[in-house]
Amino acid sequence: MSPNTKNIHSLVHELEERAKELNCIYSIEDYLNDPVLLAEEKYIAVVNAIPGGFQFPEITRVRIVAGSRSYESENFSESRIFIKSDISVNDTEYGSITVYYTKETPQLDEGPFLKEEKKLLSSIADRLRNFIRHEESKTILHNLKEIKDISEEESEGSWRIVIEMLNKTDPVLYKTILRKLLHHLCWNDIKEAIDFLTSTSSETKTTEEKNPLEENKPIKRKILDTREYEETILSMTGKYMKDDEIIEKIQKWITDDKISNLVKAVENYNTSLQVISEILRKHYKIALEKNEVSTSIDKGLRVSLLRRFFTEQIDYITTAKEHVDLEDFYDLIDRIIFTPESHGKLGGKSAGLFLASNILKKSIKGNPLLKNVKVPKTWYIPSDGIIQFLQYNNLEEVIEQKYKEIEEIRREYHHIIQIFKNSSFPPEMVKGLSVALDDLGDKPLIVRSSSLLEDQVGAAFSGKYKSLFIANTGTKAERLNALMDAIAEVYASTFSPDPIEYRAERGLLDFHEEMGIMIQQVVGERIGDYFFPSFAGVAFSNNEFRWSPRIKREDGLIRMVAGLGTRAVDRLSDDYPVLIAPGQPNLRVNITFEDILRYSPQKIDVINLGRNEFQTMDAAELLGEIGEAYPGINNIISLAQENHLVTPIGFVHEDFHDDVVITFEGLVKNTEFIKRVNLILKILQEKTGAPVDIEFASDGIDFYMLQCRPQSKTRETAPDPSPRDIPADRILFSANKYISNGKVPEITHVVYVDPGSYYELESREELLDVGRAIGRLNKLLPKRQFILMGPGRWGSRGDIKLGVNVTYSDINNTAMLIEVARKKGNYVPDLSFGTHFFQDLVEASIRYLPLYPDDNGNAFNELFLMRSENIFKELMPEFPELGKVVKVIDVPKVKDGMILRVLVNADFDEAVAFFSVPSLTPERNYEESGVTETRPADHWKWRFKMAEQIARQVNPSLYGIKGMYVLGSTKNATAGPGSDIDLLVHIGHYGDRIEELKLWLEGWSLCLSEMNYIRTGYKTSGLLDVHFVTDADITNKTSWAAKINAVTDAAKPLQMKNP
Amino acid sequence: MADKNFNAFQMAQTQFDNAADILSLDEPTRQLLREPLREYHFSIPVKMDDGTTKIFKGFRVQHNDASGPCKGGIRFHPQETVDTVKALAMWMTWKCAVVGIPLGGGKGGVICDPHNLSMREQEQICRGWVRQMARNVGPLNDVPAPDVMTSAQHMLWMLDEFETIKGAKYPGFITGKPVGLGGSLGRTEATGYGVVFTLREALKQLKIRPEDTTASIQGFGNVSQYALQLYTMLGGKVICVSCWDQKDKKAYSFRKKSGITFEELISITDKFGGIDKTKASKLGYEILDAEAWIEQDVDILIPAALENQVRADNAVKISNKVKIIAEGANGPTTPEADKIIKEKGIFLIPDFLANAGGVTCSYFEQVQSNMNYFWEKDEVLSKLDYIMTAAFNAVNELAKERNLYMRDAAYIISIRRVAQACKDRGWT
Repeated sequence: MSPNTKNIHSLVHELEERAKELNCIYSIEDYLNDPVLLAEEKYIAVVNAIPGGFQFPEITRVRIVAGSRSYESENFSESRIFIKSDISVNDTEYGSITVYYTKETPQLDEGPFLKEEKKLLSSIADRLRNFIRHEESKTILHNLKEIKDISEEESEGSWRIVIEMLNKTDPVLYKTILRKLLHHLCWNDIKEAIDFLTSTSSETKTTEEKNPLEENKPIKRKILDTREYEETILSMTGKYMKDDEIIEKIQKWITDDKISNLVKAVENYNTSLQVISEILRKHYKIALEKNEVSTSIDKGLRVSLLRRFFTEQIDYITTAKEHVDLEDFYDLIDRIIFTPESHGKLGGKSAGLFLASNILKKSIKGNPLLKNVKVPKTWYIPSDGIIQFLQYNNLEEVIEQKYKEIEEIRREYHHIIQIFKNSSFPPEMVKGLSVALDDLGDKPLIVRSSSLLEDQVGAAFSGKYKSLFIANTGTKAERLNALMDAIAEVYASTFSPDPIEYRAERGLLDFHEEMGIMIQQVVGERIGDYFFPSFAGVAFSNNEFRWSPRIKREDGLIRMVAGLGTRAVDRLSDDYPVLIAPGQPNLRVNITFEDILRYSPQKIDVINLGRNEFQTMDAAELLGEIGEAYPGINNIISLAQENHLVTPIGFVHEDFHDDVVITFEGLVKNTEFIKRVNLILKILQEKTGAPVDIEFASDGIDFYMLQCRPQSKTRETAPDPSPRDIPADRILFSANKYISNGKVPEITHVVYVDPGSYYELESREELLDVGRAIGRLNKLLPKRQFILMGPGRWGSRGDIKLGVNVTYSDINNTAMLIEVARKKGNYVPDLSFGTHFFQDLVEASIRYLPLYPDDNGNAFNELFLMRSENIFKELMPEFPELGKVVKVIDVPKVKDGMILRVLVNADFDEAVAFFSVPSLTPERNYEESGVTETRPADHWKWRFKMAEQIARQVNPSLYGIKGMYVLGSTKNATAGPGSDIDLLVHIGHYGDRIEELKLWLEGWSLCLSEMNYIRTGYKTSGLLDVHFVTDADITNKTSWAAKINAVTDAAKPLQMKNP
Repeated sequence: MADKNFNAFQMAQTQFDNAADILSLDEPTRQLLREPLREYHFSIPVKMDDGTTKIFKGFRVQHNDASGPCKGGIRFHPQETVDTVKALAMWMTWKCAVVGIPLGGGKGGVICDPHNLSMREQEQICRGWVRQMARNVGPLNDVPAPDVMTSAQHMLWMLDEFETIKGAKYPGFITGKPVGLGGSLGRTEATGYGVVFTLREALKQLKIRPEDTTASIQGFGNVSQYALQLYTMLGGKVICVSCWDQKDKKAYSFRKKSGITFEELISITDKFGGIDKTKASKLGYEILDAEAWIEQDVDILIPAALENQVRADNAVKISNKVKIIAEGANGPTTPEADKIIKEKGIFLIPDFLANAGGVTCSYFEQVQSNMNYFWEKDEVLSKLDYIMTAAFNAVNELAKERNLYMRDAAYIISIRRVAQACKDRGWT
């Protein structure tokens, strides 16, 4: 046997052992959770399950001692080869598990036992401890009930029963209470008590301190034995105090005692979360009656708990301490998966949700609207879980990943995912996850990251790490594996290039990033093979996309879709969510039948349980398939009947498929949903002191809150600074009405349609030509680097004197759409607010700004717009007459390299555009969902290199290619991680060969897309966007051909093989 | 505002003057027809949702009712000018006259932006409009219909208010109502079918059998879908259809030289008339440039998408094989392109005539509503066939007789009809 194969053998053997251990843990878990088995039967089953987890089951024997009982595995016999793990409950030794080998075996880590086996045994002991505690608490509850029953009959003397109970359950506390009773009697000047105290105190005290655990053993005393001592105090108590008074005192002392332990533990940073939780649990169990603790202890304790479980951030703590009770923590700790040493925190997302849900819970009183507001069952893993995961798998070196070159990080990222997915979790975590799964049941789950950095930088971090859906179907073991797989992948995303790059740019690399995990039940219902909520979405306190001047910023905004909320959370390029301003629900974005149809959601995200995956479905297809079974269908759809939309009444009839439109009309009109969301937003904003951003879902009955965070932390809608010191000659315009927040990239070109000249155009044809010219410019000018400024209403269709007749595709590359309302006499025209293509603007993050140049206090540098060099004629020779109407200004050219910067601040309702030097910090790409920070150098350089490669490799003579050019973001060095590569191919004419070339390029496109995915994690369907132009096109300067040798933003030629 | 500015009403008047010159129309009739008969301007106070009151400006222009009650839409528009409304009312007069239905021309509106109004507020505007106008409109005087930013819902509110004021049911007061509430069947098909009815007559004139023809259609909305359906039923073969792709924000042409069937294409079309490219490829369609539809070697072109689609730059690409252009859309051809089409000797069925199926169906809705008896779809469509055929023949005869371009002939015939009605009534 070669050493190599030997290694493999031993490896396989090790893996087998690991599998056996896991299997053993699972089966024990199953037995303990079995609702049918009696406690005793459970022990027997466990005893017999344990040998399977060890190397040599056939010679393994097990004994469990639990209290006074002991259980032994089949054919039990003792031997001297054994390992033992004690089971202690409430600090007392309650029992033990012992594993014996009946024969000699080779010496391993610890005698004949493996290190892992030792660990396994202590995990089982731990699990049993929990089980025993649970059983015990059942007994206690039972006993308490008996007491209650008794005290109802005869209240007199019932305190004795309470004291007796205490003696059984918590002897230490029992002692303390007795002492306090004695002191109380003394303070009340009961002579008998004082005498008794002086005669006994010194003696008992010392004994107690020496050996507090051995209460039950008789100790010889000078005067009295323990029993006598206790009896004396009790009988004095009965003699001198009233029953009610005694009960009340006992209760208070119990509470105070527990609290003091808790305060001590929580404030000590060495106490692990698990210990804190245990103390908290204990405290809570006894302090059933609340409001007994003094407020200052209580508040201090809440602050400490918030600090330990969530964050050190003072803002959060200040707010949260007013809204959470100890009780809330008690609910929380049962759903945390701890490892014994855990000192981590639960992370930003968890903190936000915890606070928000408790605020709402406490606001239900007086707000019946909140009655059905819930939070889905959620389990948490503290942030240091990831560290323990790394340590357990000896992967610590991955932490240093962040200091590598970004290219290297990119290359290695998908390996890291694989390594993580193939690593195992520490047994404590496995156990915890197993318990979590039992509690969560077999509903699909979402595993979300809850990072600590989110707290630090707020901002864009939220979208950086992964959230994963899992179907959670199959056997328990399969479900557990899928869950661990998902957690591993979310952990791996900490090391993905995107967030690391972001951190590097902001000097946050050295911040110790740890990531908490939230495991949340997905809200919804299973219909056929699909699982999904009735509807879901996001809601914001501040509306940054107002479609009417009547909508105020505080009216908020809801983006909602049918099915999973993923389609509402992200910006979509191929679909539209329904937008509603909860403060003005009757002012809808889309008014006409056609627009309502066009901008209604066409797709629904679901979890396909049959295929175990997340799936995007065609809405009509899904509704056709499941029809009326869709939860709350009547609230979601309208039926299009000819040119008329109706909300279904009662049941939906069979002609269901074609004419169904997702409008949420029923929900808005017939339910209190909008009112509820509005109230929730208002309450959360009021109580947290800041506008919020929530994520929600509904199963058709209840409203579930999934997430809550301050809206200001959403990077995209943070207000810009509003500088006051810009020299007047640098300002192009300023505005002070209807301002919405949103980032505008640096602007290099201004397109200005002069209102005066536009109104003077004589024929409809000329007016239409302006629209056409804008459409061409839109294709020629660098994407998202120009602004369009024009009179009145962009996109006018009928009366096009009101504004330039364009469709969305004529303006879709602009960074900002500006409507200028010049005063005519004493009348200022109404602006459209972009309503002709509003939802397209929203999804593409194209900002909208209304300008009122004639309003007091607004600057408007008309001279610059009218007198600067106008390159329109060179760009658009086909529209020679329009040069006086349409101005195109190359800003860096006329302003010595300066660009135009547009800053908007909705808090002050101010916007300003001014000339400024281009910033050195990297330009950002705002197109992708969320906000993606990029270092453009990497993205465009790589793309440019690839474009050069393609050009060098293509055979020009074969395909009749006369030249190749690169343009757009790759050429302009503004490409982001998801940008495509725009190639212009100059060919003689369209021939059959071109199809071949297209195929060849398609191959490149897909490969590049895959490479880009590996580099950046961005998925695209093909990376190349190829445009073909012929000689004729170049002569006529039609569309793309105009880019060749263009005056501004010309396409860059690529070196090719000699044709 | 300066005189030289673009002004819709002046444009309509100029157009009229040209036709009047050809007809050598007498001065009083000219004066009568150059201006509306009646114009109503009124204020509509509305209690807004927030408790304030806002005053909206309403209009109704009745251009001419010599042939019958005025007919025309009500527009909600933020910067409506009375000039636009006047122009549109005049065009409605000619539109009804060209198909020879007994209705006159009207148009109305309210200055408002529905984007800034709740549905309740819009309802108040509708009801307010009717309260102001009830004595001047009605099934026998003036019949409103939906237009820009107004829908069946608005019509129902208006109808309800009218009937409340009058204390009786008058379903014929308004058109554009949903089926079951006084609407007519066949509305969806009417315009597309109307285009093909005139096309069929044109082929007859040119002595070509539909079975021997091929066609290319621009657009795949309501009009083109039903034009495609009826034309293929007649035996013709559509080989190319262009349509807008919402996702790519551009149009494509879908070509299948073996012929496109309505059922097949509709099965891969979403409800906005968007064709699924992938599915189309699988079914053997070639996916070509947006403009490819116009360059096909076919006998018939049907531009049925938007205005200004046939321009000087692409009209030159029209194949020499093309014999007929049937304008399904409104104003698809620019004046420059018109010249090229004339030079090429292509037979043109002008929009005015070709897409009059819509207004004819509104007339049917009103007729059915008045008698409170509703026809089956076949009956609606066969009556439509009759009217469209008659209208085509009248225009075609005049064009032949006077050697006029079809577009001019259609215009002249409608003006002549209205002028005749005015004279017959003894007005001029």
